[in-house]
Amino acid sequence: MRFRLSDRQVGILFMLPFLITAATFIVWPVAEAIRLAFYQYNPLRPHDQFWVGLDNFERILDDPLFWESFHQALVWTGWSILFQTVLGVGMAMLLHTALPGIAVFRGLLLFPYIVPTVVIALNWRWIFNSEIGIVNHALLRLGVISENIAWLATPDMAMASAIVLNVWKYTPFVIICVLARLQTIPTELYDAAKVDGAGAMRRFLDITLPMLKEVLVVVIVFRTIWTFNKFEEIYLLTRGGPGTSTFNLAVYAFEEGMANLRLGVAAATGVIMIVLLLVGTIVYVRVSGFGREEKPA
Amino acid sequence: MDVRLERLSKSFGTNLVLKSLDLTFPERKFVTLLGPSGCGKTTLLRLIAGLERASDGQIFFGERRVDHLTPGERNIAMVFQSYALYPTMDVAANIGYGLKVRGIPRPERTEKVGVVARVLEIAHLLARKPRALSGGQRQRVALGRAMARKPDIFLMDEPLSNLDAKLRATMRGELKRFHLDLETTSIYVTHDQLEAMTMSDLVAVMDQGIVQQYATPEEVYDRPANLFVAGFIGSPPMNFAEVEVERADGAPVLRLAGRTIPAPAQFDLAAAPRRLVLGIRPQDVRMAAIGEPRAIPGTVWMTELIGSERLIEVEIAPKLRITAEVKSEIRAELNAPAAVAFDAAKLHLFDPGTGRALPRRA
Ligand SMILES: Nc1ncnc2c1ncn2[C@@H]1O[C@H](COP(=O)(O)OP(=O)(O)O)[C@@H](O)[C@H]1O
Ligand SMILES: [Mg+2]
Repeated sequence: MRFRLSDRQVGILFMLPFLITAATFIVWPVAEAIRLAFYQYNPLRPHDQFWVGLDNFERILDDPLFWESFHQALVWTGWSILFQTVLGVGMAMLLHTALPGIAVFRGLLLFPYIVPTVVIALNWRWIFNSEIGIVNHALLRLGVISENIAWLATPDMAMASAIVLNVWKYTPFVIICVLARLQTIPTELYDAAKVDGAGAMRRFLDITLPMLKEVLVVVIVFRTIWTFNKFEEIYLLTRGGPGTSTFNLAVYAFEEGMANLRLGVAAATGVIMIVLLLVGTIVYVRVSGFGREEKPA
Repeated sequence: MDVRLERLSKSFGTNLVLKSLDLTFPERKFVTLLGPSGCGKTTLLRLIAGLERASDGQIFFGERRVDHLTPGERNIAMVFQSYALYPTMDVAANIGYGLKVRGIPRPERTEKVGVVARVLEIAHLLARKPRALSGGQRQRVALGRAMARKPDIFLMDEPLSNLDAKLRATMRGELKRFHLDLETTSIYVTHDQLEAMTMSDLVAVMDQGIVQQYATPEEVYDRPANLFVAGFIGSPPMNFAEVEVERADGAPVLRLAGRTIPAPAQFDLAAAPRRLVLGIRPQDVRMAAIGEPRAIPGTVWMTELIGSERLIEVEIAPKLRITAEVKSEIRAELNAPAAVAFDAAKLHLFDPGTGRALPRRA
């Protein structure tokens, strides 16, 4: 007897590999993390985990370090996203022009994005090294500073350095998204605006920016989620220090889970992060009016 | 306000697109730039609008030289082929944008937009976004945008080419009406000769960056200045055939496919070269009885019915066919013997060397 599959069965069959992968690597870990958030769990004693209800959450909310990390996570995310967006849009507009030689830069664009974070972070540690780093060396030679700055050893400077690293690495992502959108805007729109008497600034505000709105909403949501959750850049560059001054929630969760062996608390921190991002994203997308289509005639 | 171009040239790199044009668009006239795709019509319009800089030459609006002015300073309006409506603004904002940029306060703007919208019968669409409009409605919004500003010069680049045939016919009339109401100088670009012939006061026929003829539609049709204009204007296109000038008893005659036909009296053949190109429009050719004196015999090569008319192609010599446009009642069998005849007064004669029409007698 020959097998005959209906279209529906074939469809399910094609989706199966993805569904299995997603279940194994996304759904199960997340579910497990949520479960763990309600347990006390020491990875060195895996067998005596027990239900503690909301204890983990209470503990976190009572922990001043959590609030400090939360505040720092907002600073870290806010400035990173602000600079990435502004720089990304600006550079995309520059790359969109027909200046000679600009194609080379378009090609180089992905470079920071594809280099592994470890390599970048270690490099940046050298670059920002207060004694032998190139930044201090250059600034001294230029006479901008008169003595070495401890970039990674003072709290504000460490945070600023981490933000600079994040901006350097991920601005290309913003540029690529914005550039792709810019290339779909018909040049006749700008011609029409010129005939209507609009100058360069008006054309940017009235035509370019509104047309970039949807892509910017998406880019900002994704970049916010990724940056808020970011662990390795901060950890590799500053280890959360000096002190705890560059802790964000991801570093906080890591320290709780790995250093203090409180995996339940780490999992609860993760759950709090998910909730924060989910609520933030929904509010933001609603307010920005993304995807609101008007009915055609 | 009239528009005057003096020795206007434009090149993109080494590609010389407009070659030293001298052209005047008289005040309040509707002038069409007509020519095949790629001949430089859009480029010329963009130069007048100030969206491109000329490589050489000058542009005057009235007495004022405008070369250095931005498009916004020239007080022009332009309708683009794609309409170029601002997709993120609703219809009212699209129409009012030029006023807003010029700092007209909102109440006045709203009022002006309302007036324009009523004239164009799009008042019910003011809150819509362009993508929720049909082609004809978009067209009207594009016109409205031009109208709200009271421009000195009104520029249109193939504004009807994206519409279906029926709508195009209606819009031709509306555009002309619109031009008369606006009382501006209008410059209209098209590759469609029907649009050019029906709407224009003057037609500038362009080819390869050069104005081939600049005259009224009647003149361009009845007295084409050269072979290009003769072949480009008219549908189906004019028949061309090589002829030789001979003298019989002192009076010049033309030899066509082994036959002798009297030279048309309207042309002065005194200084004409021996070989000429003869042109005759299919509408001026009739089917004659075989054996009729002066008729040219041949065989029917192809017939085509085009509504109330029929096109009959008659081969009068190897590879030389003459198309006649006749009433559809007149029938012709393929490969049957037939004869064509025409009135010498309707003939056109061209110098094959220069392509120019022979001079006509006064
Ligand atoms: N921005 C431009 N850069 C280079 N070449 C151009 C540009 N615009 C037009 N051209 C060239 O100029 C010629 C005339 O173009 P255009 O004015 O658009 O013709 P038309 O409108 O009559 O079809 C074409 O050969 C076209 O390739
Ligand atoms: Mg064109």
